[in-house]
Amino acid sequence: MEYLIILLQTLLDGIMIGGVYAVLAIGLSLVFGVMHIVNFAHAEFMMIGMFIGWACWHFLGLDPMLGAFIALAVTFGFGMVLQRVLIRPVLGAPQVAQIFLTVGMLFALENAALMIMGAEYRSVTTPYQTQSLTLFSHGAERVLVGMDKLYAFLMALLSGSAVWLFLNKTRFGAAMRATSQDPMAAKLMGVNTDLMYAVAFGLGVGTTAFGGSVVLPYITASPAVGSGYAVLMFTVVVLGGLGSVTGAIIGGIAVGIIQSFSALFMPIQLQNLALFVVFILVLALRPEGIVARRRS
Amino acid sequence: MTRAETLSIALPALVVLALIIAPLGLDPYGYTLRILCLMLLFCAMGQAWNIVGGLANQISLGHAAYFGIGAYSSTILFGSFGLSPLIGVFVGMALAALFALVLSLPTLRLKGHYFALATLAAGEVARVVANSWTSLTGGPVGISVPYRPDAGFWALQFQTVLPNYYLFLGAMVLVSLVFWRVQTSAFGYRLRAIKENETAAEVIGVNTYRVKLHASLLSAVLTAMLGTLYAQFQFFFDPDTIFGVATISVKMALIVILGGAGRLYGPWIGAAVIIPLEEMANSYLGNSIAGLSQFAYGVLLIVVILLNPRGLISLFESLRDRLKRRQRA
Amino acid sequence: MSGQLLEVRNVTRRFGGLVANSNVAFTVAPGEIVGLIGPNGAGKTTLFNVLVGIYPPSSGEVIFDGKSIGGMKPHQIAKAGLTKTFQNVALFAETSVLDNVVTGGLVNRSLTDARRFAAECLERVGIGAIAGKKAGDLSFPERARVEVARALCTSPKLLLLDEVMAALTPAEMEEIIELVRSLRDEGMTFIVVEHHMKAVMKLCERLIVLNFGEMIADGTPQEIASNRKVLDAYLGANFTTQGEGH
Repeated sequence: MEYLIILLQTLLDGIMIGGVYAVLAIGLSLVFGVMHIVNFAHAEFMMIGMFIGWACWHFLGLDPMLGAFIALAVTFGFGMVLQRVLIRPVLGAPQVAQIFLTVGMLFALENAALMIMGAEYRSVTTPYQTQSLTLFSHGAERVLVGMDKLYAFLMALLSGSAVWLFLNKTRFGAAMRATSQDPMAAKLMGVNTDLMYAVAFGLGVGTTAFGGSVVLPYITASPAVGSGYAVLMFTVVVLGGLGSVTGAIIGGIAVGIIQSFSALFMPIQLQNLALFVVFILVLALRPEGIVARRRS
Repeated sequence: MTRAETLSIALPALVVLALIIAPLGLDPYGYTLRILCLMLLFCAMGQAWNIVGGLANQISLGHAAYFGIGAYSSTILFGSFGLSPLIGVFVGMALAALFALVLSLPTLRLKGHYFALATLAAGEVARVVANSWTSLTGGPVGISVPYRPDAGFWALQFQTVLPNYYLFLGAMVLVSLVFWRVQTSAFGYRLRAIKENETAAEVIGVNTYRVKLHASLLSAVLTAMLGTLYAQFQFFFDPDTIFGVATISVKMALIVILGGAGRLYGPWIGAAVIIPLEEMANSYLGNSIAGLSQFAYGVLLIVVILLNPRGLISLFESLRDRLKRRQRA
Repeated sequence: MSGQLLEVRNVTRRFGGLVANSNVAFTVAPGEIVGLIGPNGAGKTTLFNVLVGIYPPSSGEVIFDGKSIGGMKPHQIAKAGLTKTFQNVALFAETSVLDNVVTGGLVNRSLTDARRFAAECLERVGIGAIAGKKAGDLSFPERARVEVARALCTSPKLLLLDEVMAALTPAEMEEIIELVRSLRDEGMTFIVVEHHMKAVMKLCERLIVLNFGEMIADGTPQEIASNRKVLDAYLGANFTTQGEGH
């Protein structure tokens, strides 16, 4: 019974964090799916979302779960501008140009944050950080979920479903999917593809920023926090299939569960190492499958 | 010999000659000479990256792994066993080749973004290992090269910066010669074919897998060699700088892309622009504002890509063509 | 079955659920010029790609020059003497015409020899004058010729030509037909995919017809022209394309 409890607890922890990974990664996947561009700077928008969430809490007393909506709105606009000014010129360019443009964005954003916010870690205090919910108990053994993790998970679920509904159930979303599959045909059908690209990028970085804000109660913000999550986000996305929202959700939860189980027997450094190695292997084994899916 | 051919030999010869004479008027302990040293070293590093990144368009963002392996190998062997870096450098080169070989298994069939992502992660693997294998590397606090000025050339350490300068100049010329040799040989033709159309290259008989493997081994080995030289020059380094994405991997690529990818003079121009610029920014702005130099670096990268992804060398060339046309007219 | 240069034995190629080639079987003797025809989407280019090793066959066997090549890599097959031109033109666009062709020569020559032979190939195909131009700057007919020259430079025993005459004027077509014939007289063998029926009928002594991935006929141009199945396939195909047009 004791083992079962540990098993359940680990599984639950994995699902909770995995849901958040999913939301962080959906945006990255969306940007790739619509524009076929790998945004190396994407994780920086998680960091930006965290700082916006922190600022809303610090200056306005707003809970990070609500601050997340402001983070979404602000980065959505910022993302549209970035897309217009920086990404659009390289959309048809060789991949080298796309890679180094977004790598340049990564450095610029991370260090702009360092110059503005300084290197110190910033965290929020909320009443629910110390609370937890007992889901199941057996004698003295209990399966718990921290309220901060639960709220973050629910918010992730909310935004993930919203993006899915937007893409699959609205006319605008249909136009965006059409653009992703065949921009020329979409254009002929009267879709404003430039607008689609800008909105996709804005929405992509916006969802990631949203995810950044909702994890604030249990992850501290700093300028380098994004880089720390970059490989993780890429792993989720490549695992689920670049460009697929559903794939990102499945991939996110899978990575969350794997990570929480590996934490049982691996020190943190080895976990990171394992993540990188798994990532390289997933890349090596998956891309053909992803490309094939994109064609169909 | 045509005029163009004469020029293509005379021009680099003149540049190298100027580089041989340049330090004679400078303070042999001085700051300017140190900057020139770094410029030559980073030029050589860019040239090593240029073999895979420039000629074959395999965009590696993990070359820091080879650089760090070179630096750590010779330093650990020197520190723990007193083995001369002149021998240690070969151990580093061999280990870098091994790393490149293992990495090639999952990555060599990857293209474009996927190759860049995988190599980026591979560089991070090396960084994490160096940070956590404390008993071997000294961990995050870094490692020092034992100071033995009495041991002379055997320890690859010198009283002034001047010998280092000529060592780096020699390394730069060596790597550039290797690049030139590759570029003008059948190997170079095959690499360019891979860059432009991998399927077509295969169908007309290019063993793309083997060609890419050989190129990355060559590039890795040269990069590791330069890692040892860097360690002997700096005397101290830590995992986050020597395996750094920004400090090493992307900088190597940026130097090439700024100057002109796949071109012999690309890294020459790139390093001559970036390294002094970076040093000036650091000395004038100092560390008063943390992150400013890296921010400027990111912005520079963006500007280069948006303005001229073919590099500065193409600007010179179009300028030259325009002058020629005007002369004729 | 010795004496044949190419033997295709029941080759099938699937992409997921889609069958692009189904049980294709034929042989080609040395010195033949064989036409491979069929409506759009019949699987001609896929068959070429299978033969040169871009895709391995899902089942079946390919024997070339006495060796089984099914599953071999394209560069190995090219070295054995079988290569193709690309229908949509796959030149090295940033490279000069000469260097494009030189790269082909490197499969079995040193760089110096490849340079010399490449110049010959360019002359042969009639584009010696544009050797120094960048391949990406050429017109479509010029590029098709560079494709041919690059393939020739690998000294193939069997060359697969994929629509090299598309967009050519009748006079230019005549030149290509002459070129192919004279190369054949020197011992080369060809399989030709071409949409221009007159050119195909004129150039080829034998035709193989594919429809929906299956081989439906194999015979002389005269036999094919009166083959019921072939007429149905083309007529049927024409009706469908017209239907789509509305």
